Amino acid sequence: MLAAALAVVCVILVALPFLREPDPETDELDELDEGERRRLELLESRDRALSALKELEFDHRTGTITDDDYRDQVGPLRREAATALQALQRNTPGTHGDASKGEGRPVGRRT
Amino acid sequence: MIALLVAAVLAVFLLYTSIAGGGNPSIAPSELRGRSGEVQLAGLVVGPVVGDAHAGGLRFELRDIGGKAKSTVVVRYSGSVPDLFKVGRHIMIDGRLRKGVFVAEPGSMITKCPSKYSPKQSGDSA
Amino acid sequence: MPELGRAALVVTLGLSTYALVAGAAAAHLGRRRLAHSAQNALIAAFLTTLVASLILLAALLRHDFSFAYVARTTSEALPTAYTVSAFWGGQEGSLLLWLLVLTAFGAAAVRLNRTWARDLIVWVVPVFAAVAVFFSFLVVAVASPFATQAPPPDGAGMTPSLQNPYMLAHPPLLYLGYVGLTVPFAFALGALLSGRLDERWLVATRRWTLLAWAALGIGQLLGAHWAYVEVGWGGYYAWDPVENAALMPWLAATAFLHSVMIQEKRGMLRVWNVLLVILAFTLSLFGTFLTRSGVVNSIHSFTQSSIGPWFLGFIGVTVAVSLGLVFWRLPQLRSPTKLESPISREAAFLYNNLLLLALCLAILWGVVYPMLSEALRGEAVVLGRSYYDFFLRVFGLPLLLLMGIGPLVAWRRASLRSLVTTFRWPTLVALATGILLLVLGAGRSTPGLVAYTFSAFVGATIVMEFARGTRARKALGATSWPGAFASLMSRNRRRYGGYVVHASIVLLAIGIAGSSAFDSVAESKLTRGESLEIGGYTLVYRSLAERQTANATEIRATLDVTRGDSDLGTLEAGKNAYTIEQQVSNEVGIRSDRLTGEDLFVIAEQIDPDGSVYFRVFVKPLVNLIWLAGLVFLLGSAITLWPDRREQRRLVARAEAVGLPATR
Repeated sequence: MLAAALAVVCVILVALPFLREPDPETDELDELDEGERRRLELLESRDRALSALKELEFDHRTGTITDDDYRDQVGPLRREAATALQALQRNTPGTHGDASKGEGRPVGRRT
Repeated sequence: MIALLVAAVLAVFLLYTSIAGGGNPSIAPSELRGRSGEVQLAGLVVGPVVGDAHAGGLRFELRDIGGKAKSTVVVRYSGSVPDLFKVGRHIMIDGRLRKGVFVAEPGSMITKCPSKYSPKQSGDSA
Repeated sequence: MPELGRAALVVTLGLSTYALVAGAAAAHLGRRRLAHSAQNALIAAFLTTLVASLILLAALLRHDFSFAYVARTTSEALPTAYTVSAFWGGQEGSLLLWLLVLTAFGAAAVRLNRTWARDLIVWVVPVFAAVAVFFSFLVVAVASPFATQAPPPDGAGMTPSLQNPYMLAHPPLLYLGYVGLTVPFAFALGALLSGRLDERWLVATRRWTLLAWAALGIGQLLGAHWAYVEVGWGGYYAWDPVENAALMPWLAATAFLHSVMIQEKRGMLRVWNVLLVILAFTLSLFGTFLTRSGVVNSIHSFTQSSIGPWFLGFIGVTVAVSLGLVFWRLPQLRSPTKLESPISREAAFLYNNLLLLALCLAILWGVVYPMLSEALRGEAVVLGRSYYDFFLRVFGLPLLLLMGIGPLVAWRRASLRSLVTTFRWPTLVALATGILLLVLGAGRSTPGLVAYTFSAFVGATIVMEFARGTRARKALGATSWPGAFASLMSRNRRRYGGYVVHASIVLLAIGIAGSSAFDSVAESKLTRGESLEIGGYTLVYRSLAERQTANATEIRATLDVTRGDSDLGTLEAGKNAYTIEQQVSNEVGIRSDRLTGEDLFVIAEQIDPDGSVYFRVFVKPLVNLIWLAGLVFLLGSAITLWPDRREQRRLVARAEAVGLPATR
C-alpha cells in the first residue's frame, strides 16, 4: 500500500513538467547560441586577464614578484586584457557595452 | 618537456623495482615444501600454541586456508603477537623453511582480519 | 516494513534509469520538458533512497532481527550510537549510504546550477543517473539491505575494535569524500557530452571537490588516530590496502585542485584536468571496491564476493566511456596558451601534479601488484612497507619542497635572478635549521633531516607570504595590523586558505618524520619493581590489577614514569578480554608531552601468570603535530570553502551578460 503510494508520488513528480505545461509554445531547450557562447568565452578570457593583472600588481606590491619580473610581465598582460576588452566590445550587440561595469574596470586597479 | 618529466618519473620507478625486486611471494603452507627462499606464508592457525613469544619462541602449526590440503607446517615465531592471534585465525607471517620448520622473522606476524572497514567479515571468517 | 524498503529501492532504480534514458534523450533532442522531468526523477530518487535509509535506520534502532542485516551487525546490548554506526558497518548498508549521499549530492548540485549552467546540466543529469543506476542495482539485486529471515533471539554483535567513537565519524567521512568526487566527475562528463567546455563546469564543482577532498583528508587522519590509539601496535599508518584506498583518490584530487588553478588563470591543461577528475572518481570507486569486495585478502575471495565483479565491470565501463569522450572532444579541449618557461608558477604546479600522480600510481601499483601477480603467476607477491616508504621519500620530499617554491614564483616566466632574491631568506632559514639539527644529532636519519630542512623552508615561505601580504594591505589603507590581516584573508580566501592547508602539510611532514625517523623503542620483560629506561624516561613497573566490566575482563599494569628528577605520574597499559566475542585487545598507555609534542607509548605485550609483563615502549617525538595538522587542515579547508561574495558577483555579472539568469 505504502509502496504503491510512494510510486504514485514519484510518477507525479516526474510527470510534473508535462502536467504543468500540457501545451507549451515551445518545447525547445533554450540553449546558448553560437554568439552567446563566443561571448561567454570572451568574458572568461577578459576576467582571466584582469585577475591575472590584479594578482601581479598585488604580488609586486608585497615583494613576492621582483621588479624585473613585474616589468617583463605587466606589458603583455595589459595588452592581453585590452585585446579581450576590445573583442568583447566588437562582439557586443548595441547597448551591452559593459566593459566599464563591474569587473570590467580598466587595467591596474588595485583593491 | 612534460614527456621528459614523465620519463624521469618512470625511470625512478623502474630503477626501484629492478633493484629492490619487489616483495616476497605469498604462499600457502602446502606450497612450502622444497622452497628455501624467504616467503610470506598465509595460513590458518592450528593448535596447540606452545612456548613464549618473548623467550625461546612460540610454536604452532599452520594449514591452508579453506584448501583441500590437510598438511600442516610447524612455525617458530618470536616477537610481538597481534591481539587477534589464536587458534582458528588466518595469519600472514614472513620467514623461510629451515629443516622442516618455518622460522619466522621476528615481529612479522599479521592477523588478516578484521580489516578496518569490514567488521563483520572477521566474525564470519574466524 | 522490509517490503517497503525493497520497494523504495526498486522505485529508486526505476527513477534513476528513467533519469538516465529520458535525460540523455532530452539533451540529445533538446526537449525542455523532458529534461525537467529527468531532473525531477533524480530528486525523487533521492527521496525514495531517503525512505529506504530511514527504514533501515528504524530497524536498527528497534533491534528488528528479522532484518538479516540488523542481526548480522548488531546485538540487543549494543549501545545506541554504535547501533546507528552499524548502518555503514556492513556491505549492504554502506552501499545504501553511498546511494543516499550520491542522490543527495546529485539533486543538490543540479538544483544549484540549473539556471546559469542549464545547457551543461541537461547532460550532467544522465551522468549522475548512470552512477545511481549502478548503485541502486547493487542494493536491489545483489546486496539488498532488506533481506529477511526468521528472527534469531539476539544479533551477532559488533567487533569490539569497531566499538569506539572514531568509527562513528571515520567511515561516513570517507564515503562523503568518495561520493563527493562524483560531482566534479558528472560535471566534467556533462561538459564533454554537451561540448560546453567553458569554465563553468569548474566553477560549479570547485566547492564540491574541496568538500570531498577535505572530508577524505580528515577521514584519513581520524583513521590514523584510531589506529594509533585503539589498535595499539605503535603506529598510525601501515600502508594497508584499505588505507591506501582513501589515500589514492585524495592524492588525485589534490593534483586536480592545483592544476585547475592553471586552467583558471591561464586556460591551460584542459585535457589534463578532465583526465584527473576521471582518475579521482575511478579511484574512489576502486577504493569502495577495495574495502568492500574482499579482494584485499586474495583474488580468490574476490571471485566469491557478490559485488566484486560488478564493481570491476562498472569501473571498466566508466574508464572506457570517459576516455572515449575525452578523445572525441580532444580538438575542442586544445588550449590556446602554451607553457612559456620551465621556471614559472605553471611549471611548478605541473611538477607538483606529476609528483602527486607518480606517488598515487606507485601506491596503486603496490595495491594491485599482489592481485596481478596472483592472476598471472599464480603466486601473490606482496609489496611491503619498504616499497611504499621508498616512494614516499622519492616523490614526497620533492613535493614538500615544491610547496615552498610554487607559490612564490611568478606566473608565465620568472628570471633566475629574481628567484635568488625571492628565496634568499627561506633558504637561509632552512640551511640554518638543517645545520642546527645536524649539530643536535638529527643526522642519524638522512630522509628525516631532509624533511625537517624542507619543512623549515616551506614554513619560512608561508610566514613570509603572510607577513608581506599583511604589510601591503596595511599600506593600502587598513587601519590596524589585525584589520590588515583580516582583509588579506577575506580578499583572497582560496590563496591564503591554501597557505593554511600548506602549513598543515608541513606540520604533518614534521610529525611523520619525527615519529618515524627519530623514534626509539625498548622492550623488556619486567617483574614488579623492575624498571626500564628509554629516551630519558625511566619506567618502573609497580602493580597489576584485574577488573571485571559488563562485557570484558580488563587487566592493567601500572607504571611510574619519571624523567630526570621530575615525576611524571603513572601510566596504565594492559589488555581487555571480551567475554562474548572471545577476543583480546591491547589497551595502550600514552603520555603526551604538550610542550614538545612527544609521546611515550607503552604496550603490555604479554602478561604472564606469575605477574611479570613483557613491555614494549616507544618514544615518538613530535607525533602530536600530526593531529595538530588535522585541526589546521580543517581550518584551512574551511577558509577556502567559505563563500566568496566578490567571486559570486563576478560570476553573476558574467552569466547575465550572455542572458543566463544567474540565481547562484
